[in-house]
Amino acid sequence: MGRSFFSIVLREVRELAHDRWLFSLVSWIPLALFFVMFQMFSQQIPRELPLGVIDLDKSTLSRGLIRHYQVSPALEVDDHFFDMSQGAEALRNGDIYALAVIPADLSQDVMLGRPTQVTVFVNDQLLLIGKIINSSLLQAHATFTGQVEAGKNLLGSTQVIELAVSQAAPTASKVTALFNLSVNYAQFLVSAILPAIWQILMIVTTIVSLANSQRLYGGNSWLGEEVVTSLFAKFLPLSILFSLQGALFFSAMYVWQGWPMHGNWLLIFFAQLLTAWASIAAGSLFFFATRGKVETSLSLAASYAAPALAFMGVTFPVTDMTLPARIWRSFLPITHYVEVQFAQVNYGAAVESAVPQLLSLTVFAIPMILAFVLAQRSCRFVNGGAGE
Amino acid sequence: MSWWDVFINELRAIFFNRSIVLTVFGGVIFYSFLYPLPYSQQVPREQKVVVVNLDESQLSRKLERMVDATPQVELSERAYSVEEAEKLFLEKRLAGILVIPENFYRDLLLGHQPTLSFAGDASYILVYSTVLEGMLGAGGTMSAEVKVTRMVMSGQAMALAAEQYSAIRLNSRPAFNETMGYVNYIVPAVFILILHQTLIIGVGLLGGGQNKKRLDGEGGYWLQASPLKLLMVRALIFAAIYWILSLYYFGFCFVYYGVPHLADAAELHLLLLPFLLSAAMLGICIGAVLPRCELATLIVLLTSMPLVFGAGFVWPTVAIPAPIATILNMVPVVPAIQGFLRLNQMGADFQAIIPLWKQLWLLAGGYGFLAWLLLHRHQALAEKQRVAKHSCEQSLSEIDNISQQLS
Repeated sequence: MGRSFFSIVLREVRELAHDRWLFSLVSWIPLALFFVMFQMFSQQIPRELPLGVIDLDKSTLSRGLIRHYQVSPALEVDDHFFDMSQGAEALRNGDIYALAVIPADLSQDVMLGRPTQVTVFVNDQLLLIGKIINSSLLQAHATFTGQVEAGKNLLGSTQVIELAVSQAAPTASKVTALFNLSVNYAQFLVSAILPAIWQILMIVTTIVSLANSQRLYGGNSWLGEEVVTSLFAKFLPLSILFSLQGALFFSAMYVWQGWPMHGNWLLIFFAQLLTAWASIAAGSLFFFATRGKVETSLSLAASYAAPALAFMGVTFPVTDMTLPARIWRSFLPITHYVEVQFAQVNYGAAVESAVPQLLSLTVFAIPMILAFVLAQRSCRFVNGGAGE
Repeated sequence: MSWWDVFINELRAIFFNRSIVLTVFGGVIFYSFLYPLPYSQQVPREQKVVVVNLDESQLSRKLERMVDATPQVELSERAYSVEEAEKLFLEKRLAGILVIPENFYRDLLLGHQPTLSFAGDASYILVYSTVLEGMLGAGGTMSAEVKVTRMVMSGQAMALAAEQYSAIRLNSRPAFNETMGYVNYIVPAVFILILHQTLIIGVGLLGGGQNKKRLDGEGGYWLQASPLKLLMVRALIFAAIYWILSLYYFGFCFVYYGVPHLADAAELHLLLLPFLLSAAMLGICIGAVLPRCELATLIVLLTSMPLVFGAGFVWPTVAIPAPIATILNMVPVVPAIQGFLRLNQMGADFQAIIPLWKQLWLLAGGYGFLAWLLLHRHQALAEKQRVAKHSCEQSLSEIDNISQQLS
């Protein structure tokens, strides 16, 4: 038994290299996908986002303010707009991401000590980009305000303005961005995108590998008498491969990119192994539930795995998701994994705190058993049919 | 084969293929409910924050209440030291920490500038900015109140003037997505992607399946009809199906989810045409190079993530490296998302999206030509295969004849 199991495992490993498509799926495709995502976010924090400025004041003061916008690495000022309609059109057409309007009486108001404001219209259709622009502008205003104040020295003592958002006010504010000190957007997005891609890869590879055996040996004959053994022999090398892929993208983030990682590496790898088995369970259930119809099972897998990122709770907090969303979320292995990953990477949480998520991942043994039962039944049906 | 024959054969091939029907109709409808599901609350609200009040004065309690009253933040926990707050923050996965320093009230009265400390979990950036917005907003309001009180107490109007002197306030207003809602952010772009991806899977399943049959030596109408006819009929049928599905998305779904839709209907249709055609042509090309139909689903699924983040609505187009941007621009969904967002979400004139519109037509033409070449070659190959098979059979029967005569 032990030997035959080992020989089936060997056969499965050989089969991975047999089909060109399957081989690509387990070799260069994951590498290429991970690499492209890293490249896409290689700027880490977006630079030179076009900002339109309408300067109705045209004073030394307003020009100074515009220079402060220009100094911000995130912004690229375009101040050739003469009136609102021109600027609004550029904003609508997507030529600029935001439009700042400096009022005509800015310097006068400042001289007279009247409160004054620059109105900026931010394209919040592109929410994340809007937020980047907003915080850069706030920062520019804070430093500019501080400088003007120091120059005039009206208050007698220079106020120290700690951070972007604090205004000249009786209280000062100190803002700390925990766990992502430079507010690195790439780190935030990539650390969620790569697991999502990884889950898609695992589920489709499982299905394609099952379909490959089906095509090579015809029907379910490859499962033989010992269905469970054959399936385990197939899944074992796959799970090792998937774990390697997981280790690869994880190391790429926290070793190659050098992002800070505070947690336990072994725990991460263990969670990845469980996630790999859970994804195999999902993939094989799709395959056997559709009676080995590969294109239908891939379509189901697509609707299951493609939107996973939205349910991770990284872009939008889980606490604000409705009950149906939270239920669907719990059906996705990767959401449990990402919770472990974030807790370890960011907070360096205690190993015990990952227990609920790891337990949730083991619940995917149920779809695995279900897939085994379906596989066994399909075999019996075929064998029984042949006997009659 | 006449146009009509090709048309009937194509319709039959599409609607009798369960996988295609499931992906095209099932997929589009399923996604229309699933994708917006996590965002249905639109904006994150009442993020849980721990407060450390080291001052315990009346004023600091008032500040607590003001922070708690903001829609973004809820003060759910209280700690008596910063260390304890950090522990609670980690244990309960809170979104932020607010620290009111010792002698906050006294320092304020003395005119010293006490520092309020805010901390947020920046590993979740969008949540982080929400929390800070709430806390800083409350802090700012508090400051303004103190300022007014102080001015009134001191009786010096100049005090206020002097302090406000420097502040050139930034009045930031959302231009298009006014509620800053997530559904409004995600749905308009992702729905275009869903249309594009399921369309390509559908066309690819059809083409890939027929390709496999050809490789297995089977014949069919797709080898008899002229490539141009086949190409046009297939692209038009899928464009027509997706026209209806697009109307479901732009019409029913946008209204259902309350997503703004500013475009003129005629202009929307004008942009839909090259988008659907170019996607269909790309699908035909993909189907024609695949040895098996399921690989269409595979390719589309694996490219979804790079396409979502390369389309320019999450990560700015200017920040994407040029080689990747060039490849992305060859996929119809990328110019399409930019075009539809500008037209329908941002209210741009059609004039402004003409470059994108032209790009889509160019893609439709380019992929159409490529698809025509591929289909042409397939027919030639199939013909060769048939002739070879025929001559092989002929020589076999001749050998049979000869051997019979010999015996």
